[in-house]
Amino acid sequence: MLRASVAAESAGIPSATLVCESFMTLAKAASQGLGYPNIAVAPVRGHPGLQSKEELQRNVRELTLDGVLDALFKMPAAKTLGGEPGPRDVICSGSFEEVNDYFLQHEYSDGLPVVPPTVEKVEAFLKHTDRGPDEVLGVLLPDNRAATVWSVAVNGVMAGCRPEYMPVLVAAVEAMADHAYGVEHSGNTPGGETLMVLNGPVIKALGFNYTQGVMRDGFQANTTVGRFWRLYLRNVAGFLPHKNDKATFGNTWRVVVAENEEVAAKIGWPSHCTEFGFRPGANVVSVARYTGGNHISSVSGATPEELLPYIADAVLRQYSWQIMFTVGQGYDTVRPLLLLSPIIAETIAAGGWSKQRFKEELFKAARMTAFEFERILRDWTQKPTWNLKEEHEAGRIPAVFHESDDPQRLVPLVWRPEDFHVVVTGDLGRNSIYVFAHNGVLGFPVGKEIRFPESAGGANE
Amino acid sequence: MKANTGAQYAALWPRGPRQAKVRPLAQRLDTLEGKTVAWLWDYVFRGNEVFEQLEQSLAAKYPGVKFLHWEVFGNTHGGDERAVVAALPQKLRELGADAVVSGMGC
Repeated sequence: MLRASVAAESAGIPSATLVCESFMTLAKAASQGLGYPNIAVAPVRGHPGLQSKEELQRNVRELTLDGVLDALFKMPAAKTLGGEPGPRDVICSGSFEEVNDYFLQHEYSDGLPVVPPTVEKVEAFLKHTDRGPDEVLGVLLPDNRAATVWSVAVNGVMAGCRPEYMPVLVAAVEAMADHAYGVEHSGNTPGGETLMVLNGPVIKALGFNYTQGVMRDGFQANTTVGRFWRLYLRNVAGFLPHKNDKATFGNTWRVVVAENEEVAAKIGWPSHCTEFGFRPGANVVSVARYTGGNHISSVSGATPEELLPYIADAVLRQYSWQIMFTVGQGYDTVRPLLLLSPIIAETIAAGGWSKQRFKEELFKAARMTAFEFERILRDWTQKPTWNLKEEHEAGRIPAVFHESDDPQRLVPLVWRPEDFHVVVTGDLGRNSIYVFAHNGVLGFPVGKEIRFPESAGGANE
Repeated sequence: MKANTGAQYAALWPRGPRQAKVRPLAQRLDTLEGKTVAWLWDYVFRGNEVFEQLEQSLAAKYPGVKFLHWEVFGNTHGGDERAVVAALPQKLRELGADAVVSGMGC
């Protein structure tokens, strides 16, 4: 909303942005990154989602209307952005405890102790990349800050990463800065958290866990790189709780998940990185945001046909309001992620199913009635009417959503089989899966190749 | 945490250089009489109903005010947000918008 208002202001057209009262602090913080720290907002009382029509109308008349007129008629007082330290400035000198106190007080820390980022430690990280320290990997909203290689190293130090993780950190930030990913949405109310998935020889080279407990903290590479992501969101993108981060509940950052490429190769399934167009065996980090997920235990069956109904049901149960990203708020942006434990993947493959066949069967099996699909959109996304037939006939969605006029016909969660992402990982001996509920356009999957310095002697191949 | 007498650290700033430059807001209006107000919506939180009520109230106060419906501009927070927002300045000028009301930040 503010971004749209800023577009108007830049065209010389005054704006009033309608902001719920509990979002005023966020609006104030976000307006600075947009370069309009004094932009005018008009308050919306409470939350419209919990008001009767009469209450909403009364609140608009009694409060919002005056706010709109004030915003359009009164020029707010000018504001400036305060000065800041330079990237190489020492901001605090002292003991480990004193540095940590300072970082907590200035909101640079996630609450856990950080490793003090000294020049010596930062330079040790920079030795593991050919990228220049001042190179800008992208510009991150909402704070609108340059994501420099230097700042990647600083936050990597703080997170407890080892210097040799630096190529992974650089690739992760490149993914964060990719417009398709949509970092600017990272502070939205669902509070979805990013999952990073790792592929390639880098997994073993850097000691990432890719077997039992793959989502558990306790493995330095998986844990610290995951923590780095959240610290970078905080310190460079600017997502601070109670400010630019308006997650209703939020999540703790997720540790990095690495794929078991040995098992994937053994059963002839292409690794996850190929879903982003990379060749099998490439070193790739991919990112996407998920609002939640569920572990599905004891997925039993001797054949893929026997396993499929349980898996499809698990996928379906993760999606309710999120289908607004299939049809609606973000067309064709849902990409469910499934983690399959190795013996599940092996059993499916042993039945003659390729990874692509598995996705095709899942596409056919993970469906709900058109009536239910439209009901969810209508009742739970607050757009008054939804009609898949009209959406199809208008050319906005594919025919699979309207193969007949029968409201009991089954429609898929996604537009095509390839939209399901699948990673083989976890306990070698347990028949479990994990299904993530994807956050659609508010964290679309992006993959980036991890580049090692030339001095690493061909580690890129 | 309490200070101790151990090693000393000179800690660096962990943030990135700010890219935003402060820019001036557009000139404000002195009336909406005879002006055109554009509604911009992110397609959530009953913005259509809020706009409807605002439209009634504004029309009662300024009988000559005109409005541009939110459907003209598209979803400002959908999958194509960047393209929609990038197109706004030109579209608003072409359609003769004098003011914008953008919602819903909730």
